[in-house]
Amino acid sequence: MFANYLTVALRMLVKHKLYSAITVAGLALGLAAAILIGLFVHNELTYDRDVTDVDRIQQVLVTATLPGRAPEDGASLPMPVGPALKQAFPQVADVARVAAQTSSLKRDETLFSEPAAVADASFFRLFDWPFLAGARATALDDPNSVVLTRKTAAKYFGDADPLGRTLLVDGHLLRVTGVVRDLPPNTQFAFALLLPMDSPANQLPDYLREHWGGLIAMTFLKLKPGADADAIQAGLPAFGAAIPPIRSNTGEVHLGDVFKFFLVPLTEAHLHPVRNAMVEGTSPLEIGIFTAVAVLVLAIACINFMNLATARASLRAREVALRKVVGASRGQIMVQFLGESILLTTLSLILAVALVEMLLPSFTTFLGKPSLAFDYLRDGRVLGCLAALVLVVGGVGGLYPAVFLSAFQPGPVLKGNSGGSGAGGRLRVVLVVLQFAISISLMVATGVVYGQLAYAQGRALGFNKEDVVILTDLYGPDVRKAETLRDALRQDPRIVAASLAQSYPGSGTENNTGVHRPGATVDDGVVLRQDAVDFDYFAALGVPLLAGRVFDRRSAADTLSPADPAHPEKMRHGGLILNRAAVQRLGYPTPEAAVGQLLILPSNLGSAGIEMTVVGVVEDFHQASVHTAVAPQIFFVAPSPSDGQLLIRVKAGEMPGALDLIDRTWRQMMPDRPVPRVFLDAQLQSVYEREIKTGQLFAAFSGLAIVIAALGLFGLASFTAERRTKEIGLRKVLGAGVTDIVRLLVWQFSKPVLVANLIAWPIAWVAMRHWLDGFADRVSLNPLLFVASGLSALMVAWATVGLHAARVAATKPVVALRYE
Amino acid sequence: MLKLVDLTKVYRTEEVETTALNQVNIHIKQGEFVAIMGPSGCGKSSLLNIVGMLDNPSSGQYWFGDEDVAGYGERKLADIRKKNIGFIFQSFNLIDELTVFENVELALLYHDIPARERKERVKEALAKVNIAHRESHLPQQLSGGQQQRVAIARAVVSRPRMLLADEPTGNLDSANGEEVMNMLTELNGEGTTIVMVTHSMPHAQYARRIINLFDGQVVAENLRAA
Repeated sequence: MFANYLTVALRMLVKHKLYSAITVAGLALGLAAAILIGLFVHNELTYDRDVTDVDRIQQVLVTATLPGRAPEDGASLPMPVGPALKQAFPQVADVARVAAQTSSLKRDETLFSEPAAVADASFFRLFDWPFLAGARATALDDPNSVVLTRKTAAKYFGDADPLGRTLLVDGHLLRVTGVVRDLPPNTQFAFALLLPMDSPANQLPDYLREHWGGLIAMTFLKLKPGADADAIQAGLPAFGAAIPPIRSNTGEVHLGDVFKFFLVPLTEAHLHPVRNAMVEGTSPLEIGIFTAVAVLVLAIACINFMNLATARASLRAREVALRKVVGASRGQIMVQFLGESILLTTLSLILAVALVEMLLPSFTTFLGKPSLAFDYLRDGRVLGCLAALVLVVGGVGGLYPAVFLSAFQPGPVLKGNSGGSGAGGRLRVVLVVLQFAISISLMVATGVVYGQLAYAQGRALGFNKEDVVILTDLYGPDVRKAETLRDALRQDPRIVAASLAQSYPGSGTENNTGVHRPGATVDDGVVLRQDAVDFDYFAALGVPLLAGRVFDRRSAADTLSPADPAHPEKMRHGGLILNRAAVQRLGYPTPEAAVGQLLILPSNLGSAGIEMTVVGVVEDFHQASVHTAVAPQIFFVAPSPSDGQLLIRVKAGEMPGALDLIDRTWRQMMPDRPVPRVFLDAQLQSVYEREIKTGQLFAAFSGLAIVIAALGLFGLASFTAERRTKEIGLRKVLGAGVTDIVRLLVWQFSKPVLVANLIAWPIAWVAMRHWLDGFADRVSLNPLLFVASGLSALMVAWATVGLHAARVAATKPVVALRYE
Repeated sequence: MLKLVDLTKVYRTEEVETTALNQVNIHIKQGEFVAIMGPSGCGKSSLLNIVGMLDNPSSGQYWFGDEDVAGYGERKLADIRKKNIGFIFQSFNLIDELTVFENVELALLYHDIPARERKERVKEALAKVNIAHRESHLPQQLSGGQQQRVAIARAVVSRPRMLLADEPTGNLDSANGEEVMNMLTELNGEGTTIVMVTHSMPHAQYARRIINLFDGQVVAENLRAA
């Protein structure tokens, strides 16, 4: 029996090559997309599972609420939190902190920048990844030790055994005490080397190591067996409240009010996107969206299968009738057709797997997870998932055709009346409408995502990100050299502006300060973001001035007067520039009104504080992601900053020469450090990387949806054209012209697409409105985008149908009428 | 063998109601060869579909053996059908994708017969209708007469007690038509009950009894001397 089913199925496949090809191709594309998305989603859902007792490890996160700012979740905690938690909660067995830094490593005479991390010695007790060399338990005990990943070890020591060898890290000679295997693609840690917390190469300033106010280290707790994380969670508010208040220039701060700590199981931490994570988290929403896209693309492919199978049911009607006549029950017929659909899905799956194999390298590179594997030969679970996929897709796609086909009444069919080949036509139309509604919605979504991304990276930024080079992370003596470098660069005609600044847009670091009007008290102050900048800062970023003027190096009063240790009671003075948001926050009616006003920055160390004069107001621009609103902020010129970034705006078109100049000058001045040179636009790109990738994936999959839907329409159209040959012949006999016929057929297939628009538009509108709500600064939904998506779908429909229509319409009516 | 009592079949669409069979009473005995005649639209096919259990009557009784199957559901009908009834059609109704052998074998697939026995019986049936040499051909490669012989082989391979033939010679030339009629006569001689719908008076003469239908009613029954 099975052999008979298989014979018929295979011969039908071969005989009707076009339809088989369309169905198999559509399903294969859909399945390939689903597998790729599945790999992505599975990877996202299985972060950091490969450590012992993973269910006992909790990550401590913090919700920081700065006055006047929206609360923000972060992974970095004040350094003392970890040890204090261990003391406060007896359920905590172990605690480990880890903080990222960028270190320069020397191999032979070449310097490299590497992502590094400093960690407590307990780190490898919690994260017991296999060591390829060295003893895990003691690897971080000696301050002068360094643990490398396998790849880093190979980079710096080649094939030689690195254990016990020395490595120059940030100018300190460290001894390699361990080699850990490379980090898996699904871990929230990202480092090439790990240093002990008390390493001489730890870049963290000493005062921050015991400071409760700085957000520095990722902190993990390992609970004792059987301990309840909820109990600790419940104790955290009291823990926060017990933190001793710190004195700041906004008065006494109770950190328990500002920082709310909470626990997240390690296995779920990746699904909790927060600021300052080493690897950016993925929101469950995003995973939901991609899962939905996979299901939708598969649904479109299934619909193709259903539509083609039922449309062409008349071809199978006689077979079904006969099988019934010779005694087949309806159930047996259904089993046969379901089996056929599963067979077809299996064929498609083989193709899909081949497709995935072909696409996987570029897909994983694209995701930035090159080690993501599709191991279907060795991993039984993968094979099981694929089998389940085939059963579900084959079942869903085949069920309706099976029900439909098995319902044929043998009597009329065998008498020669084709028997209900027109039946199911309405459902087919509904399904086509559904396919196109999905496609159009995805197109609109893609358009909105791209529009918003372009906006977020362009006009919405409020500054010009092009042609800006940044020399990053300059500390101490480097800053002095950078000042000389800046002045040298300014002489070159290829450099438009060069300015030192505490941070640059997208760098992720920020400082805040209390500010109040003269006469008011500290308690009336507001918290504003502050950036120490340089005279050419706004010119370097291209931020427009709204009122007053920018800092002027000829005006001595613009620079903040240096602190006088001998006379701490003396008020310091300086010029101040506000952004528009700060004008509002401080309550000035207009930017013009703010110019000339005095503001006090209270000092926290018993000194007199700083009196600043507002010299100008600039337009708001985004220092962080466009997701968050522009923070109200102030800018001032620091007399001799201790750390900073050098922002260099290069004349358009002069980039190569300018880079050469920058690098050459840097090497002359600082031969011991690799040029820490980045491009501002590339840095910002990384801020939006996730969204850009989301957008690109979205575009790819919605394009795929359209292709699959068009494939189905093509098959349906060719079938309809075939079936209506006789009708069309008659119409022609009665005087219809080729154009009339083409119009007739094209219109038949345009209607569902037009109806699809009516369904897709409101859904897409609501969904994208919701998505855009996640951005503080966003594009408005353009109705033209909706119309354009609908039109594109219509064009695709016309293109697929028109060909058949024209061919049938051009056939001589005699041929058509002779057709039986 | 079968007895139809006041059998009525009404087709309804949204607008029209057509009475295809109106109070038909027919009794067919085991081993009979009955021809049903009548003009187009008189209800012949409806009658055959009901007798063949491909369709249910709207009212009346259909006694098959000692069971009234008129109200049976599809599953039950299918079961009785496959054990008792073979079909031959005007348009042969062979499955294009299957070879001659496979087409005939199809009739045994739903009978739980082991593969070897199936093979023997198919070969036997094909030999009986003189088409064994074409067993691996596809239907399109055969002439009309050959195709109908395959169809007969398919109808008899499951050894039904009754054979229903719906204008079995309608698509055949006279020589092939004669041949098919001779085969049916032969099968009847072996004990198979045959009910045949036909337009051809000469072919109806092969039957022992002719039932004439007109507008859904039996208007005449002629019993011929054997």
